[in-house]
Amino acid sequence: MVVITTKKPEQEVFDALDRYNVKKAVIVSCGTCAALCQTGGTEGLEEWTQKLEEKGIQVLSGIVSEDVCDNRVMRKDLNKIKEEVAGADAILTLSCGLGIQSIVKNMERFDAGKPVIIANNTEFMGMTERIGRFYMRCLGCGDCLLNETGGICPITTCAKALMNGPCGGMVEGKCEVGNYEKDCGWILIYNRLKEMGRLDLFEKLRPPRDWSESGHQREVVFR
Amino acid sequence: MAYSKLGEMLEKGEFVLTGELEPEKTCDLSHTIHEAKEMAPYVVGANVTDSPLGIVTINSMAASHIVQREAGLEVIWQLTVRDVNKLGIAGMIMGAHALGIRNVLSLTGDHPALGDVTEAKPVFDLDSATLCSLVREMVDKKSINGHEIECPPTLHVGAAANPNADPMGAEILKIGRKAEAGAEFLQTQVVYDLERTIEFLTEIRKYKVPILLGIFPMKSYGIAKGFDEFVPGVSVPKDILAQWKSIKKEITDKKDQKEAYDNANYEFFKPFITELRKKGLLDGIHCMAVHYPRIFPKLKSVIEDSN
Ligand code: SF4
Ligand code: SF4
Repeated sequence: MVVITTKKPEQEVFDALDRYNVKKAVIVSCGTCAALCQTGGTEGLEEWTQKLEEKGIQVLSGIVSEDVCDNRVMRKDLNKIKEEVAGADAILTLSCGLGIQSIVKNMERFDAGKPVIIANNTEFMGMTERIGRFYMRCLGCGDCLLNETGGICPITTCAKALMNGPCGGMVEGKCEVGNYEKDCGWILIYNRLKEMGRLDLFEKLRPPRDWSESGHQREVVFR
Repeated sequence: MAYSKLGEMLEKGEFVLTGELEPEKTCDLSHTIHEAKEMAPYVVGANVTDSPLGIVTINSMAASHIVQREAGLEVIWQLTVRDVNKLGIAGMIMGAHALGIRNVLSLTGDHPALGDVTEAKPVFDLDSATLCSLVREMVDKKSINGHEIECPPTLHVGAAANPNADPMGAEILKIGRKAEAGAEFLQTQVVYDLERTIEFLTEIRKYKVPILLGIFPMKSYGIAKGFDEFVPGVSVPKDILAQWKSIKKEITDKKDQKEAYDNANYEFFKPFITELRKKGLLDGIHCMAVHYPRIFPKLKSVIEDSN
């Protein structure tokens, strides 16, 4: 599993840096998921170091961290460059939305008022076909249905995340969303259950999803 | 128990004819009311659409109420699960009852990405089957999630069925779920292929839900061609298109041309519907051709002559 990121339009990042009048920065690049998505890693670090310097922003330090989204790792890594962090007007992170929030969390200890700017958009948790081709096939809904749907997720493969598909937008197995180019998730499920000889599962009326646990900050705490 | 004229006729096993009204992006419903008045003598009720194709129109509940009040025509209020969550929909169902609406058609709704407010959040908290369950719980059990409704709504809930669906098997099982959820009637998507229709209707007959066949009489060659080209998954047979084209080309007098189109529709639908009725596959017809109210007397004769 990889948290899939893509690059924000460059101007949007510079606008964010401008908003804080950044003249000196520290760059934190993710060496794991973002490296795989070519939005971070060593290459991203080099690319952004150059871009910032071209704009006259001094890069006091740039690091590649293996786990930007792990608060413990981030604390250690930031500790190693704490003087540079103290001297910087902002931190630029080449990570996902989890990474930036881990940095922000750690900033409570270093400098709670320090801006942290993100250079990427976080897309989804991805299944990898090959590098450069990732698919959203699970969004972590918290109540996995796949034992009943032949192992195919209707939440992510159906454009309406329906519990009882297919809808009237299906034509020849394709979905109305995206000009009938993508497979209808419910037909994928139908075909799979048919192969398995378990269309009885397809026949089942499913109740609406229970959203009662999703309206607040979800946590998993087992220790 | 019947709460509406439609419910009553279906309960008695009388063959029904329903029409369709498509309010537009305007707060002025005078055209819709005018059409409703024109079809009213011939139909038991008319569907009032809910922003089809995700293109915003006046709200279908408000339009339904106004049509009933101004045209005296019973409505089948179309309600999609696209825009409102379960909480909101439950409130709307009570509101609709209070406004005198007694039939609702449960639909998924076209995705906002297809329409003119593409950035809107696609809700789909319920789906077309679970909306039927909700209505039936509110009406029959007089509760929502087990919580009592002081004065419960009384509405009949219907659902859609698509004979053009490919693979058909998936659609049939989905209709089974709608039946299990309590759908009280089905209105089908438009279909021109008799063999396919027979196969499909025979299959879904087992669910024992009254079936209204969706038909689309074509007012002109332009409309027939547009329908053939732009409605995904439905095609108008080539010979029909050719016939309509020749009416357009050969009959120049506007009045004669209109009559020729109306007659051609009669000639096409009469044997089609006769065959299906003979096989005991139909409980009614749902005419989806909007802005063509003058066809209703002809459809009425199709029904009489097909019996
Ligand atoms: S149902 Fe889909 S989104 Fe939910 S946990 Fe399973 S795979 Fe993930
Ligand atoms: S066509 Fe299939 S995938 Fe697309 S919204 Fe309908 S059920 Fe979902």
